[in-house]
Amino acid sequence: MSTARARQSSRHPSAWPRFRRWARQEALGAHFVLFFVLLIILIPLLWLIGTTFKDNIEFASNPGNVIPTRFSLVNYKYMLTAVENLPVYMKNSFFVAFGTVALQVFVCSLAGYAFARMEFRFRDVIFLSILISMFIPRSGGLMALYELMTFLKLRNNLIGLILLFGAGIPVPLFIMRQSFMAVPKEIEEAARIDGASWFRVFARIALPIASGGMIVIATMSFVSVWSDFLVTFTMIDRDSQMTISIGIQKILASSYEMALSPRFRGQFAGEAADATALLFAAIPVVTLYAVLQRWFMRGLAEGAVKF
Amino acid sequence: MATDRSSFDTSSRSATLRSFAQEMKAARRAGWGNPWGYAFIAPALVLYLIFNVWPIIRGFLMAFTDYRFLYPDTRWDFHGLTNFIEMFSDDNFWEALVISLRYTITVVPIALSLALVLAIFIARTNRLSGFYRWIVYLPTILPIAVTLLMFKQFYSNKFGFINVNLRDLGWARPPDWLSSVKYALTAVGIADIWRGIGFPTILFLVGIYGINSELFEAASIDGATRWQQLWKITLPMLRPTITLVLVLNSSILGATEQMMMMTNGGPQNSTLTAGLYLYRLAFQQGDLRLGYASAVSLTLGLISSLITLFWFRMLREK
Repeated sequence: MSTARARQSSRHPSAWPRFRRWARQEALGAHFVLFFVLLIILIPLLWLIGTTFKDNIEFASNPGNVIPTRFSLVNYKYMLTAVENLPVYMKNSFFVAFGTVALQVFVCSLAGYAFARMEFRFRDVIFLSILISMFIPRSGGLMALYELMTFLKLRNNLIGLILLFGAGIPVPLFIMRQSFMAVPKEIEEAARIDGASWFRVFARIALPIASGGMIVIATMSFVSVWSDFLVTFTMIDRDSQMTISIGIQKILASSYEMALSPRFRGQFAGEAADATALLFAAIPVVTLYAVLQRWFMRGLAEGAVKF
Repeated sequence: MATDRSSFDTSSRSATLRSFAQEMKAARRAGWGNPWGYAFIAPALVLYLIFNVWPIIRGFLMAFTDYRFLYPDTRWDFHGLTNFIEMFSDDNFWEALVISLRYTITVVPIALSLALVLAIFIARTNRLSGFYRWIVYLPTILPIAVTLLMFKQFYSNKFGFINVNLRDLGWARPPDWLSSVKYALTAVGIADIWRGIGFPTILFLVGIYGINSELFEAASIDGATRWQQLWKITLPMLRPTITLVLVLNSSILGATEQMMMMTNGGPQNSTLTAGLYLYRLAFQQGDLRLGYASAVSLTLGLISSLITLFWFRMLREK
């Protein structure tokens, strides 16, 4: 659009300054720079996506093309029909991610409400202790967690992972407390005077108004749990309990054998199948991110900047 | 009872500590208050105590034991500072630490300056700024395993995007990035920068959006150029954000997952970072020496705390 406008305006002698003013106002230079930077950022991803559509011959002849010269769905067919572990890993990932979200939203909205509205001894001491403890380096934590989880018989256990991830409460708790403090006090007090119990006020009045905060912490914990590698890798080594984030390496290792097995012999290249597996592992979080972008940005702003 | 007085918008830790002391005093004066409060916080508190507080305490204690996981009886074998003495003469540890430090002091400044520049450009735009933000943060959303394995393919000598295209451009034998002692660390660093740039960019953006726009208007009325506005208004006003971002990034010292998935410490241990070294000690080698690994880990934690402290001191507002 900008070039068309520039061409049109160059016919009139007085138009050039006007174009310059417009370009300045619209920050054309900034758009120009950003366009190139973002293209560089996107190249690895676009190449990955392009690779998923290459069959064996296409991959062997044009491995470096971002856009394949002919499209094939063989990698997808292979992933969806022949990789038995993929649905298992995906199911485990969804289980752990949704479980953690549910647990975290539940405990943090209860506690956040108490910290925002109720008066009890040591309230602020406890809250500040939780916040401050965030700054203590977690090193040594992984070794101690390994011992703890072994002791509790929670290694190789998805419920164990949910409890472990669900316990990462400082930031979500802080966000929930902020959301509840933004709810007008008068409504709640009126309900209390009318004889509603604390739990009723919390569940029927405060919670619906503070639901924005719940969405924020839910998205944040979903993404971080889905993506976690190190903790999950340490706690899980049984194949049936692996999440996609750690199981993906196993899928990548097996695709080379499958490329030679009778059913798919010579149809796809191991590397292209790997790219497809990686894409599958990323799709859920990217979809969530695309749908809920607003909440992500709010979460980032609230979670980090307010300290 | 102290309530809203304890504001958490403080930008420094010392202010938080100060209000913590005040809260302690206030709590001692007040009664027990609403019992429902304890019921509401109980689930969160129990989880937190078991899975966060205990590991911190236990991790600290473990550093002074000779706990080997395969020998459960050694769980509480305290032997004072022996682990730390061993660490001092452990050449592998020192080599790993040097690699980690080199990695961190190159990757973090580059990533953060790129993020700052990107944020300044994005803040200039109105239209499409949401789109730019979306793209910039996208790499951070991707699971770390996906990103690192994707870059591993991207760098692959035979079929990787970079080397295939370099060969097409006429460079007959480009280096095999991840298998060369010379380039492996840089190659991983680039992947890490790609992954890590989104978060600081968004934080910087939030910081820039938070600056009162009247300042810029006043400055441009007084004839300040954009460049001057950048140096005299934007950057000084961003000081708290810059501190925050630096503090959040001082923990990269481990760089465990990066090396685990992309190079596995190789070639010739050139990418064996301290994080990977300690992970192997604790979970992959010999008797699984959790005790010694905790000592290494505690040392790394102290070093990152020192870095954090350094940034706080450097950037403290005068």
